[in-house]
Amino acid sequence: MTNAYSIAELMATAIAREMRDDDFAAIGTASEIPLCGIRLAQKTHAPNMWFIYGGCGALNSKNPKLVEMAADFRNLTGAEYRAPLADLIDFEFTGRFSVLCFGGMQIDQYGNVNITNIGDYAHPKVRGPGSIGLPFMGSVKRTVLYVQHHHARLFVPKVDFISGPGFVQDPDLEQYRSPWAKGTSAVITPLAVLDFETPDRRMRLRSIHPGQTVESVQAATGFELVVDGGTVPVTAIPTADQLKIIREEIDTTGVLQRLIA
Amino acid sequence: MSAQRRSKLMPAAEAIAGIQDGAKVIAGGVHFSNTPLALVRELIRRGVRDLEIIPTPATGLWVDMLLAAGAVRKLWVSYIGMEFMGLAHNFRRAVEAGTVEIVDVDEPTIFLGLRAAAGGLPFVAMPPIHKLTDLPKVSPQVYRDIVDPFTGRTVIATPPLAPDWAFIHVAKADVNGNGVSLGGRHMEDVIAKASKHVILSAEEIVDPSVITAAPTHTTVPGVLVEAVVHTPYGAYPGTCPGVYSYDRAHLEEYSEYAKDDRTAAYLERYVYGSLGDRVLLDAAGPERLAALELK
Repeated sequence: MTNAYSIAELMATAIAREMRDDDFAAIGTASEIPLCGIRLAQKTHAPNMWFIYGGCGALNSKNPKLVEMAADFRNLTGAEYRAPLADLIDFEFTGRFSVLCFGGMQIDQYGNVNITNIGDYAHPKVRGPGSIGLPFMGSVKRTVLYVQHHHARLFVPKVDFISGPGFVQDPDLEQYRSPWAKGTSAVITPLAVLDFETPDRRMRLRSIHPGQTVESVQAATGFELVVDGGTVPVTAIPTADQLKIIREEIDTTGVLQRLIA
Repeated sequence: MSAQRRSKLMPAAEAIAGIQDGAKVIAGGVHFSNTPLALVRELIRRGVRDLEIIPTPATGLWVDMLLAAGAVRKLWVSYIGMEFMGLAHNFRRAVEAGTVEIVDVDEPTIFLGLRAAAGGLPFVAMPPIHKLTDLPKVSPQVYRDIVDPFTGRTVIATPPLAPDWAFIHVAKADVNGNGVSLGGRHMEDVIAKASKHVILSAEEIVDPSVITAAPTHTTVPGVLVEAVVHTPYGAYPGTCPGVYSYDRAHLEEYSEYAKDDRTAAYLERYVYGSLGDRVLLDAAGPERLAALELK
């Protein structure tokens, strides 16, 4: 076992750190990284957390392979229950899910997420797949965002369509958020970990991955990131123990070693 | 000797014969899992037009094919994509060109709309979280502010979604219309209750004694089903849980055709014609199909 790690494995360990022992999480499409992170958390500091893999409905999947299809019934391997879609929707509205993991086509400086369209809605330049579960960002306890790319076309000042709500800047709208919904706790990218721990809920650079600088992350971001004080810490790299668990128990075919070029 | 029940088993063409131009159609399944693609291909062969498509909350391929076939007038959208294969190209092009009427919604709006139709509820009231998004701005006909008569709070009302026709694919069914999905129940029961006519396609037709030996395994009850069609590889090139995996090479081939705006040639090659799905399955060949088998 070497300590060489892939960026996707580093992102998975960063997501694992966002998970708590009392969490009930849900993930959906294109979720190899958060799936690995959640299962790593279960195997280390959060043995009592639960998660549902949407699509197949598996509660606590223990599939030893990360597969590309969320609905793959092989994700029911080792699971404790098969949740129908009704359960997911109930858990999403009521905040029984304490954390959802989502990605998107655009994310803005207040954490709004767009997966609907780039450009004008009526005549889009790129039509995305649609809002799916993103509106539930307003009703689950918290959200962890993750993206496999980090560039200024993805991190934009203002999203072209709000599919999933971030920290809205209209106080009149806040009343419509479920009272337990605390918003996005972290954004995990191939370059950095970001959050919204700022007075005006603008995106903050929490840590930069090894090899990055504040300037390189800022250059890949389409708005000004909040930087606390003088230096930004470096994201913790996967430990030898974490890599061993990932590669021998969760991702036995090495998907995360190839996922992000 | 007791009276005989009428068999619901029939060929695909007969089962879908009543679907008119302009009908509201839903097909079950999640992404590439348990999508009733054999019935969709038969519908494309029929040449039906102006359909209103109500997809399940996360799907793509079947809608993309119907769009390419020129069969769709109106489309509800929660997630239309090709999951790990990326965007659904015909969907993307149709929306960008404005050639299809879109109703942008999301997962709970489709599910609860079907739930309302299933139970005869006049509408569904939801917590007002959609007001934090742009959905009410682009789909005001679906998201209406109402006052909760019990609390005085503003909530959102969304209407019932009642398809005329539903296609549902299962691993096993009997001639009485009872279906068993080996991947467990997702939302097929709600779809079946919400829809006027339900057509079940099945990998295998089993003796009714198989159903009655394990009634708790039945995921779609026959009382809701109008027709049963025997369709081996009926979810191909997607997966039928517990029976076969998806054919990634064929999905890639479809995506190549779709990306290059040549889906008409794909349909010509694999869908149209008098041989039904025979051409598609022969192209895959017995070895490739055997390799997809799930033990």
